[in-house]
Parts: sequence; structure tokens; C-alpha cells
Amino acid sequence: MADVDETLKRIESHKGVIGTILVNGDGIPVRTTLDNSTTSQYARLLRSFTALASSAVRDVDPQNDLTFVRIRSKKHEIMVAPENNNLLIVIQNPCE
Amino acid sequence: PELSPEGHPDDIFPLVLTSATQELFGCRADEDVTEKSPYKLLQKDDIVLDMRTRAAVSDFSPVKQIVLDYPEEEMLLVFDADFTHGQSFYLVLTPEAKNRILKPPEIEATEVFEAEVNKPPQPKHWISLGSEKEIGEDCLKETREKALHNNTNICIITLGTQSSSLICLLTLLLALLSPCPHQLKLQLRVDRTFRMPLSFSDHNSADAKDSHVQCAPYQDSRFSIKKLQSDRGTQAVPRLQSKSCQTLRMVPKDTFTQYEPRVFSVEELETILQDESLKNCCATQTPRILHALQQEEIMNVFIDDWKALGTGLEAGDWSGQASDSLVLHQAFADQRFSKDKKISCLNWHPTIYGKVQHFKAISSEEPALSGPDPALIVFYSFSDPSNPQLLLECPDDILAFGFSPSNPNIIVGGSVNGQVVLWDISAHVIYLQDLKDNKENTTPVARFCAISPVESRHKAQITDVQWLPQTFEVQKKILPDYSQLRIPSAEKLKPLEDVNTKLFVGMEVKHFTNPKFGNRPTTLATIFSYMSARKLWLHPPKFLYNQCFYLFQNQCTFFSQTHDRTLAIKRICIMCMFIPDESGRPHSAKPLLCFNYHWRVNTMQRSPFFKDIILTTGGPTFAIWKEGAVEGPLVASQYFEHECTAGCWSLSRPAVFFIGKEDGSAEVWDLLKNTSEPLQVHAHISNSKITCMKPWTASGEKTFALLRRVCLIYSLSGRFYTQTTIEKYFELETESLKNYLKGEDGCTKQNKKMEEVKRQMVRYVFCPVQMGTLVQKSKFRSYGYTRLRGIPVKLNLLKSE
Repeated sequence: MADVDETLKRIESHKGVIGTILVNGDGIPVRTTLDNSTTSQYARLLRSFTALASSAVRDVDPQNDLTFVRIRSKKHEIMVAPENNNLLIVIQNPCE
Repeated sequence: PELSPEGHPDDIFPLVLTSATQELFGCRADEDVTEKSPYKLLQKDDIVLDMRTRAAVSDFSPVKQIVLDYPEEEMLLVFDADFTHGQSFYLVLTPEAKNRILKPPEIEATEVFEAEVNKPPQPKHWISLGSEKEIGEDCLKETREKALHNNTNICIITLGTQSSSLICLLTLLLALLSPCPHQLKLQLRVDRTFRMPLSFSDHNSADAKDSHVQCAPYQDSRFSIKKLQSDRGTQAVPRLQSKSCQTLRMVPKDTFTQYEPRVFSVEELETILQDESLKNCCATQTPRILHALQQEEIMNVFIDDWKALGTGLEAGDWSGQASDSLVLHQAFADQRFSKDKKISCLNWHPTIYGKVQHFKAISSEEPALSGPDPALIVFYSFSDPSNPQLLLECPDDILAFGFSPSNPNIIVGGSVNGQVVLWDISAHVIYLQDLKDNKENTTPVARFCAISPVESRHKAQITDVQWLPQTFEVQKKILPDYSQLRIPSAEKLKPLEDVNTKLFVGMEVKHFTNPKFGNRPTTLATIFSYMSARKLWLHPPKFLYNQCFYLFQNQCTFFSQTHDRTLAIKRICIMCMFIPDESGRPHSAKPLLCFNYHWRVNTMQRSPFFKDIILTTGGPTFAIWKEGAVEGPLVASQYFEHECTAGCWSLSRPAVFFIGKEDGSAEVWDLLKNTSEPLQVHAHISNSKITCMKPWTASGEKTFALLRRVCLIYSLSGRFYTQTTIEKYFELETESLKNYLKGEDGCTKQNKKMEEVKRQMVRYVFCPVQMGTLVQKSKFRSYGYTRLRGIPVKLNLLKSE
């Protein structure tokens, strides 16, 4: 637990990070810095999105796999790192 | 009735009755008596009374006698509206007339019709008009009586029916033959066949041709009527077609609903977080996340800088002229503070925009003459060109200053006596932003908040100050063996909370005499360690030692140029590139590359678009260098009449740079257009020489030239080339330079003797390249020159392709 916490703290202290969410294999957020409703919304939406992206990548090349997803929007950038059905979601403000 | 000689019947007498009389007797015209009821019965006594009262004046006076003789009591007065008898009234004189008038005799309306006696009409005697003749002709009359025959000498002649004429002949013959014709009664005997009993049979007349004559019936066309019109009836019958369609009904279906997010309880959370897989996941993914975060922090990869720079007019590849000229935008001068002073450095305030404000650092050049005026950094704003907004008090003349990029309220300045001064203007920044009115009408003055102590100051003038980013590591090194010329490079860029811990990184410049260069003292600079650094360049004024440093990003190379003006006539400028190693031993650095540059370099600036393209101006030339292209400058200009005293790249156009001259003219050069002459020359924009040029991109582009006493701001806008063309240009330039030098080496082998003779002189390689298209052969021209009494003279055209 300490490792996870420490890792997440490192990420959260980076410049521009708005929030981090750690989602486990069932799609339930385990660790989050945002409020509950936002967290659940992000977890739900990004889980399906990541699954779709992963299936797209593997459809093209079955030996390939999805490693990282970055969604850049006008206001911020959402980064999703999938691993073993877990998701690490980070939302960052781009600096400009 | 008979008419009297006057024209009216005897029974009546026309009267004129005055209105008084009319009123008296109640027979006013058109009121009491009208056309419809013209009769008025007057009492005889009244008339007599009136006659007596009024005597001759009375209207009744002409009929006086008659009235008196009148047998009855009432007399009739008739209103004669039509004046038939001459006057408006007439009086009826006799009772019979009165009766007659009042009661007209009844007209017998029912006339007795005579009843016609119903008598049958009597036959009249007929008069013959000759018509019995015609009737008689048509009547059939027996002319003789019918004959009776009995059997007395009757000769019976039997005749056939064949010929009737024969019968007549025979009859005549018999009649003649008989002795007593009148007694002979001719008796015709019918044929025996006729005497036989008759039997009738049918006979068709059509069997024999001539047995009958017939008039065949035929259709007479006169009696056939062609029917031209016939009544018809029409009925519009709609064609009906039954159709049907079926809509697809989409039934909305919830894919999922969530009323409440599923949450783990605390114990579950703890167990999950202890899970190895989760830890692994975090551990493996964290570096990626950090990397991505850092990338985001560093730069925005999605911005297209070129598109962001260009406006609508300028987008795209363009090959026109820069049509706008340098327009004097603003001149800043202040009588109190900037009089008789020279401007040594100039900077735009990085964040206060709107009225773009800028700094001026003013140092007094003639302190003896103008008195002990304090040196000042003056803030000017565009809204008020003659009054400075803020003054910063300096301990001594400031030659260079700069804003801290992370906190524009911190300003560092380097003074001529080697001290570094720091100002914090956060209290005064409201003046700059025009938020607070200056009621006292005096310019606020801010004192410095920190200054390096006199003991540990630099030994020579600080010619440039730069802010370095936070990632610098600093090691101080003191080399007591050499006279040190320390140039402060910067403070660290830190967030505001760490501003108190300042570290000075000193650049040491070592003087030593190097026999390789023939007893001319040269200077080299050593640097301290650092990690990744920003670009650093020092702006050297025309003082003894000018040094320009470049720090190459991520590779820690120095690009420094030292100028050494010695008492000797000859001046040698050396461009050195340093690469210190990672361990950070500063004094082991060696110059990577040395160029001999003849004149003092006063500007060395990297192109804001290319990391490795450097513009240098010095003496009467300027040159463009590329790091890595160690052979020489990519482009070196011709020798100008006047010294180039300032230069800067355009911030928005990669191929454009500005050169300021000693005679006060500014030139706009465009590499892609023409490398041998400026695009635009704005001559004599100031009286004195241009000492500093700093570009700033506001709306459009502004550059301003800094002069001796007055700061002028010019605005210039034009078009720009896309980055790719410039890149290609520089690539081609590099290649051509290499190629040329290879060829040059071959050439020099031939001219080795000449080389040795000219060893003292510096040869330049000219590579002006005409770039019409990107795939063009470049022309090479090389000039050799020599210096005769300090004046450069072009020797000849050595080689051209």
C-alpha cells in the first residue's frame, strides 16, 4: 500500500496534474484524488474507451498490444495506462 | 258650361284673397286649402260681415251683389292652385254649380252591355263570281244516259285483248257495214277463254320483268341527318391504390445504469491495495506516466508554430516583397532621467502586455561632464512616452539587465564595477500596469533589494546577465593564478519561494598568452558545470573585453567569442566552441573550434527558430553560423561601409534579421531573397548609432532600435517564409560550404605558397547563395582580402562557379 501511495504521490505532485484515479480490474476506483461522481464517470468511460482502443490495436496486429492512451482535449490531457485490466488515469493541464 | 266673356264659366268668379283675408276665413293658401282639398265652405254671413267692415277694401267687393243675393247660407270657395281661371281662388256663384262641383255627377261605370240575340246566321244571296265554271269543268257528268242492250241483231265480235286498236277498227267497220247503223248494236263478244269459268291464281309480279313498273325505294340522303353533337357525360374517377408501410420502431434500451457508484469498503480497499498485481501495475506504468507528464509540461506538441505566427494574409508559401516599411512607432525620451545619457541595454517586459512596456537601462557615459547623475533603469510604457513609469536605482552604471523569466518582478543587473544587483518590483508593478494613479506626479523609484558584496564582486565589468534555468548545477571555481574576468551568468530560475537562495555562477575568463597565436593575448573562458541550459548570449558593448557565450541546449556546448583589443593594431577575434565534459570540471574544457574573426563581435544571437543557427555581427560584417558546421560561417556578408553595431533575428520570420549600423540606419535582411544586399534599408532613422536591437512580437512585429539617448520603437510587419524552406536553405548552405571547402582544400594545395604569405591575414569564405529554388546549384564566390592600414580591401575574385 505504501508503494502504491508513494507512486501516486509522485505523479500527483507533478506540475499541472489535476487528478489521478487508480481503477482495479472490476472497474471500481481504488484510489482517487477527485470527487466521487467525477471519479466514477471517468472510470466508467475510460474503461470502455481503453478496451476499445486495445481491441483496435490487437485487431490490426494480434501480436501488438496497447500500452498507453493519451487523449488530448482543449482543456486538459487525459492519460490512461492500462495494465492487467487495471487502469491508471491521470488528468493534466497542458502548460502553455 | 258656357264660358263667360272673361274666359271663365259664369258660375264662378275668380277672386284674389289677401293673406289677411285668408287668415280671417281660414283658407290660407297651401295650408288650410291645398291642391288636394281646394274646397272651402264660407258662411255667407261672414262674407257680408267682412264686406261691411272693410267696405271697398274687402276682397269680396266685386261679388258683393251676388253674395247678397245668394240663396243659401254657405258659399264655396275653391283654391285654384293652377290659376286656371286667372286667380288663386274662385268663388262659386250659384248653388247648382256648387253642388255640381262638390258632388260631381256619378259616372255610370257599369255600362249596360246589349245582350246579343243568338241568331243563326241568315244565308245571304250568293253573288256569282265565275267560280261555277271551274267547278263544272272538274265535275264528272254523264253526257248521255246509260245504254241498255238486249238481243237484237247483235253482232258479237270476239276480240282478243291483244290490240285495242284492232277492236276499234273492227267496231268501226261493223258500224259502217251495218245497214242500220243506229239499230245495229254492236256487241262485242269476248273470247272464249274469257267465257270460261274463271280461276284466279297467284302471280308474282317480280317474276316477269315487264309485268310491273315499280319505283324502287331508295335512300334519300336529304333525309339523313348527321348527328354532329351528342350529349355525353363525364365522370372523374380517382384511382385509388391501397398501400401500407411499416416503421421500424427502435426501442430505447438502457445499456447500463448506475445509481450509485460501487465503492469498496475500507477493509476491501486495504486488501486490494496489498495485491501484488496492483503494485506491479503501478510500478510499471508510473515511468510512462511521468514521461508523458513531463512531455506535456515541456511543450505543447499540438501547436503549429507557423500557423500560429502567420495571419491570414501571410499563410502559405509566398514570394513577394515585404511591403511594409519600418515605421517609427514611438520614441521614448525623458528630460529628467535620460538626458545626456547613453542607453546601454534594453529589454521588453515579458508579461505586462497591452501597453507594451519596456525597460531601459541607462548608464551614464560621461559622468564627469554631466555630474553625478545616478544610473537608472527606466521603465517606459507605450501609453506615456515621455514619462517613465518606474525607476530602478542602481549603484553604478548598469550595462546589462534582465527579467527573471519565472517571475517578471525580479530584475537582475550587472554593473560596471562588477557587482550584481537585484531588484524586486512587485510592490511597484501596479504602476506599470496603470492600476494606480500616480497622484504625486513623480515617478516612483525602487531601490535594489540585493547586491553582491563589493569584496566578492567581479573584477571587471559585467557585460551580460542571463537567467539560467533551474537545472543548473553550480560549482564555483576560483583560479587564483589568472586574472579573472568573471562574467556572471545568471541566477537560477526558481519558483518564487526560493528566490532568497541565489547562487552565482561565474564564468571565468582566463587571460593567457598563447604562443600559437603569436604573442597576442587571447582569452579563453571556462565554464562551470551544468546540465541542460538555455541559450545564453551576452551582449558586449564596446569595451575592453567582450565575451559572448552560447550554451547549446542539451549538449552543453559553449559558443563563445572573445575579443581582445590590445594595444596592438591588429585585432583578432576568436570564436570558440567549448564542450565541457559531463563531470563538470570546468578547467579541462578546451575550445572545440576557433575561428579567427577580425572584428569585435557585438551581437551573437541564435535564431529563434533553429537551435543551431547563429547570427553574429561585428565590425563591418555579419555572419551566420551553424553549429556543427565547423568549417566556417554559412553566410558571411560583404563589408559594409559602416560598422554593424547591432543585430537581431526576427521573431516571426525565420529568414529575416535586422542589422543596425553605426550611421543610424537599420537594415532588414532576408536570407531567402537575397544574401548580398538587404531587403530594405531604412537609412538614418536616428542621428547616432544603433546600439541595441530587440525584437518583440506584439500584434504584428515590432523591433526597436536603441540609440544613444533616445529609445525608438519601430514596428515592422511583413510576410514570412515557412520554416521548411529556411531549413532547406540552411542545409543546402551547409552542404555547399562543405563542398566548397573540400574543393577549397584542393585549391589551396595549389596555392600553398600564397597561403603562407598570407598567413597573417584571415581569409574568409564567402558563400553567398542565390536561392531561387531549393534545388539549385549554389554559386560560390570567394574573396580574399587583406588589410591595408586597417581598411579591408577586397582582393580579387578567387573562384567562382
